[in-house]
Amino acid sequence: MLELAIGIILGCCALGAGVAMIAGIGPGIGEGNAVAKACEAIGRQPESKGNVTSTMLFGCAIAETTGLYALVIAILLIFVAPNMLINVLMRALGR
Amino acid sequence: MKKIDGVIWRESRYVALWVLILSILMQAVFLVLSRWDYTVLLGNLLTAFFAVLNFFLMGLGVQASLGKEEKEAKSLMKLSMTYRYLLLAVVVALGILLPCFHTVAVVVPVFFPRVAVLFRPLFDKKRGVNE
Repeated sequence: MLELAIGIILGCCALGAGVAMIAGIGPGIGEGNAVAKACEAIGRQPESKGNVTSTMLFGCAIAETTGLYALVIAILLIFVAPNMLINVLMRALGR
Repeated sequence: MKKIDGVIWRESRYVALWVLILSILMQAVFLVLSRWDYTVLLGNLLTAFFAVLNFFLMGLGVQASLGKEEKEAKSLMKLSMTYRYLLLAVVVALGILLPCFHTVAVVVPVFFPRVAVLFRPLFDKKRGVNE
C-alpha cells in the first residue's frame, strides 16, 4: 500500500511538471511573432533599428517570464516536491 | 563572427546592474532573517550569473533573427528560447540538487531580470523629461 501511495505521489508530481511546462509554449510563439513583426518594422524604417531592438529585448524578457515560472515550478515538482510529500506521508503513518 | 550590437551590451549592463542590486537586497533579507550562510551566496551567484547570461543570449538571438526573413526569424527565436530554457533548467536543477546551494537563493534570482524590466519605464520617463 505504501509503495502504491509513493508511486501515486511520484506520478502526480511528474504529471504536474509536464502540465506546468505547457506554459512554455506560449512565450515561444509570442517571441517568434514579436521578432517577425520587428523585422517587418525595421524593413520599413531601417533608421529605427536601435529603438526597435531595445523595445523588443524587454518585450521578449517579459514574455519569457511566464515560461520561466513554468520551468521553475516543473523543476521544483520534479526535484523538491516528491521528497517533501513522501516525508509528510511517512510522518502521517508514524514511520 | 558578427559584431554584437551596442544596444544589447547596454541593456545587458542595465539588467546586470539591477540583478546585482536585487542580489544584495536578497542577501540582506537572508541576513535579517538570520538564515544567511555561504550556500545562500553561492546559490545567488550561480543563478544571478545565468539569469544575466540568459538575457544576453536572448539579445544575441534577437540580433541574429532581425536580419532574417519573417518565417526564419520566428523559428530562430523559438530555437534560441529552447536552448536557453535547457541551459536554465540544467543550472536550476543542479542548484536544487547540490547541497552547497540554497534552494530559495537559487530559484529567486531567475526572476530578477523581469524586475529590472519592470523598472525600465521609470528611467525612460525620466530620460524623456530631461531631454
